[in-house]
Amino acid sequence: MMKTIAAIIGHKAFALSVIIGIGVWLLIVPAFTGGLGADPLDRLLHVSGEIAIWTLAAVLSLTPLRVLFPKSRIVNALNRHRRYIGVSSCIYALVHFSCHLLYQGDWDDLLASFSKPFIWLGASGLLILVVLAITSNNWTVRKLGGRNWKLLHRLAYLAAAILIYHQSIAGKGHWYIARWLLFALLSLELARLVKTQITKKNPRTAVTTGSRQEIKST
Amino acid sequence: MYIHKKPSWYLPDSGVTPQAAYLGRRKFLRTLGMGAAATAFTRVPGISATAGFPDTLNPSFKLSAVKLTPYDLITTYNNFYEWGLSKDEPSKLSNQGWKTDPWTIEIGGLCANPAKFAVNDLIKAVGGIEQRNYRHRCVEAWSMVVPWDGFPLAKLVTLSSPKPEAKYVQFTSFLDPKICPAQRSNDFAWPFTEGLMLDEAMNELAFLATGIYGKPLLNQNGAPIRLVVPWKYGFKGAKSIVRIDFVATQPKTLWNQYAPDEYGFLANVNPEVDHPRWSQRSERVIGGGFFSSRQPTLKFNGYEKEVAALYAGIDLRKNF
Ligand code: HEM
Repeated sequence: MMKTIAAIIGHKAFALSVIIGIGVWLLIVPAFTGGLGADPLDRLLHVSGEIAIWTLAAVLSLTPLRVLFPKSRIVNALNRHRRYIGVSSCIYALVHFSCHLLYQGDWDDLLASFSKPFIWLGASGLLILVVLAITSNNWTVRKLGGRNWKLLHRLAYLAAAILIYHQSIAGKGHWYIARWLLFALLSLELARLVKTQITKKNPRTAVTTGSRQEIKST
Repeated sequence: MYIHKKPSWYLPDSGVTPQAAYLGRRKFLRTLGMGAAATAFTRVPGISATAGFPDTLNPSFKLSAVKLTPYDLITTYNNFYEWGLSKDEPSKLSNQGWKTDPWTIEIGGLCANPAKFAVNDLIKAVGGIEQRNYRHRCVEAWSMVVPWDGFPLAKLVTLSSPKPEAKYVQFTSFLDPKICPAQRSNDFAWPFTEGLMLDEAMNELAFLATGIYGKPLLNQNGAPIRLVVPWKYGFKGAKSIVRIDFVATQPKTLWNQYAPDEYGFLANVNPEVDHPRWSQRSERVIGGGFFSSRQPTLKFNGYEKEVAALYAGIDLRKNF
């Protein structure tokens, strides 16, 4: 049973349909059925921002989940889609950015908007996501070498920190949404840290919790 | 890309969907069976306490150069944090068993005639209601034009006869954690409070609204009675008011306590003073769909003539 579920989840087609499906369901369908409310563009701006940040959080949670549950078939199946999920976060963020461009309406307002820390922080987060997305292909990984590539992609954590801040100040009371995201990610990272410490001290658990080799190579 | 400049603050004729056309589109969607979106607008909410008062448009507040925002939009695009953080939530969540009829409002503090009124009796005491079209500018840089029904706040102030020590008026919204889940958390300093200086409250524009488009206020708009101060940002407009107090010192207000650097006590609409996160120079006009146009924001939201004198000698940059 688990095996079949994991096989389905691990399938490319599954990943793509979920990732694209979210956008179709939350952005495109409502846009054509009047479900976006009185200011549709504002609604798209907000929803695309939320999708982008939650997909970013999803991809960041995959590594700690794999360390915590190395034997879980589901976790391993999900881990196969890290690249897709990461790139989709960037694409939704670009949709979000386009909404902002449209929303501003004229050049003066658009340029003025970039003087606000709130906006340029969002923009620097987006820049990181774009760099990570365009380096997410086998050719670049080979070109850069695994080590450098990994170092570069640690920037994802910086992007997450900046963007959760961006989200938390996006509107009156938004911290009350962002705090859950921050809390979930921090707990996962903390648990991962504890687990790796324990495994280091006690190599026998390492054997029982799965192959360390595999963890290292993530 | 859709980038353009608007020379004036006038709404283009196409900028706002006329109510009839908008309703027509709903019907069309329904017949096509595109359910959810259409039905969200046809839900029948409870009648609030202020039904059955006839009123007519006060010709001094006709606002002839602009178009009214359609009723559907005014009643589904709401900031009412007691009923959710996003704009479409209040129209749903505030209509799931929250009763705004009967409703009592208490007037107290430093005044000669403290009193408790059923809302309908208060309307009778001030001599009925009238209709006024006001521009409505949210601090989040969007705007509507709303035909309110209600009466001038000054009438209530006169009726209560504040004492000489009274310098401010404080408004307190409902507090009912049993029915309102958001109020069970202390994320915000519930109940919602707002305040005005006494001379602001006496200005002819300050208004207590009990209806929109001649219909009693719906819950999501702050039934059965709310404050409307058209030259200030929308958040000053306390909704579903249960208390009005005359006080000697500047009252605490919810948004000012939450972020004093973002939401000042005066909160006058001012294109020259930015919000820390966005410009206030222009605003999006609600009602134009995807490509709603922007228009320049006017000082005091276009009511400079009527209210500028209230702030003579006050630095509006520091006191934003
Ligand atoms: C140049 C880049 C960006 C710009 C100009 C920008 C601009 C904005 C604006 C204007 C808002 C709405 C503020 C409001 O009216 O309440 C917003 C909200 C938000 N943004 Fe961005 N943003 C950018 C990048 C990003 C990125 C890269 C992400 C995430 C991956 C992101 C995530 C969010 C989130 C989650 C919200 C809150 C949405 C909500 O729940 O309402 N933004 N952003």
